[in-house]
Amino acid sequence: MNARRVPIARRQLLAEPAKLVVTVAAVAAAVALVLLLSGLRRGMGEQVTLYVDHQAPVLVGQRGARNFLSQTSVLPEEVAGDLERVPGVAAATPISQQYAMLRLHERRVLTLLIGYDPGRAGGPWQLASGRVPGASGELVLDRVLASEHGLSVGSTLEYRGTPLRIVGISSGTSGFMTPLAFASRRTVNALSRQPGTANFFLVRPDPGVEPAVLAALISRSVPGVSALTRREIAANDRQQFVDPFSGPLLAMVAIAFAVAILVIGLAVYSSTAERSREYATLKALGLARRALFRLVGVQAAALALSGTALGILLALGAARGVSAFAPKYLIAISASSVAAIAASALAMAVVAALVPSYFLARLDPASAFRR
Amino acid sequence: MSVPLARRQLLFRKGRSLAGVAGIAAALLLVLALNAIFAGINDRLTAYIDRSGADVIVAQRGVDTMHMTQSALPEQAAAAIASLPGVAEAKPILYVPAMIEGGEERGIAYLIGDDSGGAPLPIASGRRPRAGEIVLERTLAERLAVGTGSSVRAFGQDFRVSGEVDGLASILNSVALVRRQDLARLLGSVGVVSYIFVRAQPEIGAGELAARIQASVPGVTASTRAAFASSERRVVGDMTTDIVRAMILVGFVIGVAVAGLVAYSVTLSQIRDYAVLRALGLRVRSALALAVAQVGATVAAGFLLALALVWLLAGLLPRLTPTLVLAIRAADVALALVVAGAVALAAAAFPVVRVARVDPASVFRR
Repeated sequence: MNARRVPIARRQLLAEPAKLVVTVAAVAAAVALVLLLSGLRRGMGEQVTLYVDHQAPVLVGQRGARNFLSQTSVLPEEVAGDLERVPGVAAATPISQQYAMLRLHERRVLTLLIGYDPGRAGGPWQLASGRVPGASGELVLDRVLASEHGLSVGSTLEYRGTPLRIVGISSGTSGFMTPLAFASRRTVNALSRQPGTANFFLVRPDPGVEPAVLAALISRSVPGVSALTRREIAANDRQQFVDPFSGPLLAMVAIAFAVAILVIGLAVYSSTAERSREYATLKALGLARRALFRLVGVQAAALALSGTALGILLALGAARGVSAFAPKYLIAISASSVAAIAASALAMAVVAALVPSYFLARLDPASAFRR
Repeated sequence: MSVPLARRQLLFRKGRSLAGVAGIAAALLLVLALNAIFAGINDRLTAYIDRSGADVIVAQRGVDTMHMTQSALPEQAAAAIASLPGVAEAKPILYVPAMIEGGEERGIAYLIGDDSGGAPLPIASGRRPRAGEIVLERTLAERLAVGTGSSVRAFGQDFRVSGEVDGLASILNSVALVRRQDLARLLGSVGVVSYIFVRAQPEIGAGELAARIQASVPGVTASTRAAFASSERRVVGDMTTDIVRAMILVGFVIGVAVAGLVAYSVTLSQIRDYAVLRALGLRVRSALALAVAQVGATVAAGFLLALALVWLLAGLLPRLTPTLVLAIRAADVALALVVAGAVALAAAAFPVVRVARVDPASVFRR
C-alpha cells in the first residue's frame, strides 16, 4: 500500500495559530535579548578603545601604567626629549587625558577629555563642523553628545568651574561610556593644576621598527616610564571595562535562555497534554514510542528554530534601530554569537521536549477508549 | 457554597501552571536583578563617602562626584576652610585611579592619599598606613593574593601592606589608602589636593556650613555629605537609565508572552468547562472574571517567586563574587510590581477574547 504520510506535527502546531505566534514571539524576544546583551558588551569593548585605536602604535605612561583609561599616569613633559633620543623613535607627542564629568541638562555625562598640542598628533581625526581648538578654553565635542544636548559650535559649557567654548564638532568619536572631547593640552593641564606635565606620550616608530620591540626598548632605556603597544593597551582597557559586566550579563543571558526553554516546553507540553486522547489513539493504533517522541521533538525544534530565526532578525533590526536613534550605544552582534545562538536552538528544543516526552511515555493507549 | 473554580482550574495541571509561574518569575527577575545590581553598585560607590566622617565635602568648582571624576584644589584651600567659624576639621585628600600590582596579579583601585590613613574608616585587619605603606580593600587584597606585610606596587613604587578595609569595593572599583605625601610625591602634585573633607562643629548644620564655605572660599564647590553621595549615585543612575528601561521593556514583553501563553493554554484546555458553566447560567462577565483571576493569580505567584529568587541571589552572589552586591530597594520592587500588573492586564486579553466567544450550546454538541 502506498501510504501517504500525515504531517501530524505541523498540523498540531498550526491548529492554534495564536498560540504559535505567541510562543515564537516569546522565544524570539528571549533570543534577541541574549544577542543584544552580548552585542552591547562587545560594543562597549570597541567603544572604550576608540581613541587609542586611532593613535600611534606605541603609548608611553608613568611606570606601572598598563591602561589608558581608569588609571592615572603623570610624567614631566620633558620626557618627550628622552623618548625621542631612543633609537627607532620618529616622534613622541605628549597628550593629557582625563575623565570629564560634565553636567548637561541636569544629567551627569561622562566624557574622555583629551588635551593635545594643536597641529600635532592626538587630536580629533574627523571634524563634522567648526575647527580644532587653538586658544585656551576652546573645545571640540563629539557630534552625538553635542546633538543629544543641543550643543553646537559657539555653545559654551562649564566644566570644573571653567567655561569651555565649543569651536568644533567631531564625528566618529562617540561612545556610551566615553564620548570624546578635545581641548588644547594647556587647557586640560590648567584644569588639573598640573602645568608642565603629560599623562601619556604617543610614540611613532621609524619605518620598519616593530612597535613591540620599540616599546620594550623604551621601557628599558627611559627611567620611570612604561611603554606598551597600542594593541596591548587597548586589550587591557577592554578587559578593565568589559570584564566587570560579564558576571551580571551572564546571569541575564542565563535567565533569557531559561525563559526560551520554558516557553517552548510550555507550548509543546500543553499541546501534547490537550491532545493526550489523540496520542493515546495513535499509540493504540501501533505508532511506535520513538515516532511519538519524534512528533514532540519536531514541534519543539520547529518552535525553537523559528523563534531563534525571528529573534536573530529582531536583534539585528534592534541593533540598527539603536545605531539610528541612540547612536551613543554600539551593539556589535558578531557572527560567532549568531552562530552560537543558532546552535543553542537545538539544545533548547531537546531540553524543552523532555517533559512532553516523559508525559507521552507514560500515556496509556487504553485511555483512548475511556471517556 | 462557592466553588473555587479559578484555583481548581489552575491546579488541574500543576506542571503547566508551575511552568507559567516560573516563566513570569524569570521575566520579572530580569527587571528586579538588573535594578538590584545597579543599586548594589551605587551603595558601594558611596560607601567610602558614607563612612568618611565628613559633614561637608569640598571639591573644585563644578565638581560634586568622585567616581570617574577629577578635582584639583590648591592645598591652601584646606587652611582657608579650617579657619572658618563652625569648622572642626578640614582634611585634604588626594584621590586618583591607580593600578595596584601584587606579583603577577593586578587590580584597579581608587588610591586615596590621606594624612590620617583613612580615619575614621574602620580598619578590618592590621593598622592604618604609615609612610611607604598601603591599606587595601579586602577583595583587592584577595585578588592580588597579598596580606599584611606583603609588598605591592603602584606607579612603579613598592608599598608594604599594613592592613585591610572592608565593604568598599564594587564590580566597578576598589579602594586603597596611603599617606598623602607618598601619593603627592608619586604624582608630582606639589601643593595640590583633590578634595577636602570637613567636619562641622556641633552647633552648625552641614547645609549651613557648606553654604558658608562656598561663599567664603573662591573656586570651590561645597556639598553636604548626603548631597554629595546623592550626586554620586546619580552618576550610575544617569548612565544606566536607558539600559534599565530597555530591560523593563524586554521583561514586560517576555512576561506578557509567557503569562498569555499559560492563560491561553489553560483556557483552551478548559473551554468545554466554560461552555458548561455558561450553559448552567454563568454570565459572560463572571466567566471573564474567572479567566482574568487565573492570569492574576499566575502573575502574582510569578512576582512572589521572582522576589524570592532575587533575595536568594542577593544572599548567594556576594559569597561567590564578593564585589557583586545586589541591593533590593522598595522602589525597584514597586517597579517590578507595576510591570507585573501590566503583564497581567495584557496577558488577560488572550483568554478573555476566547472565553467571550464561548457558545454555551457547544456543550451539547459532539
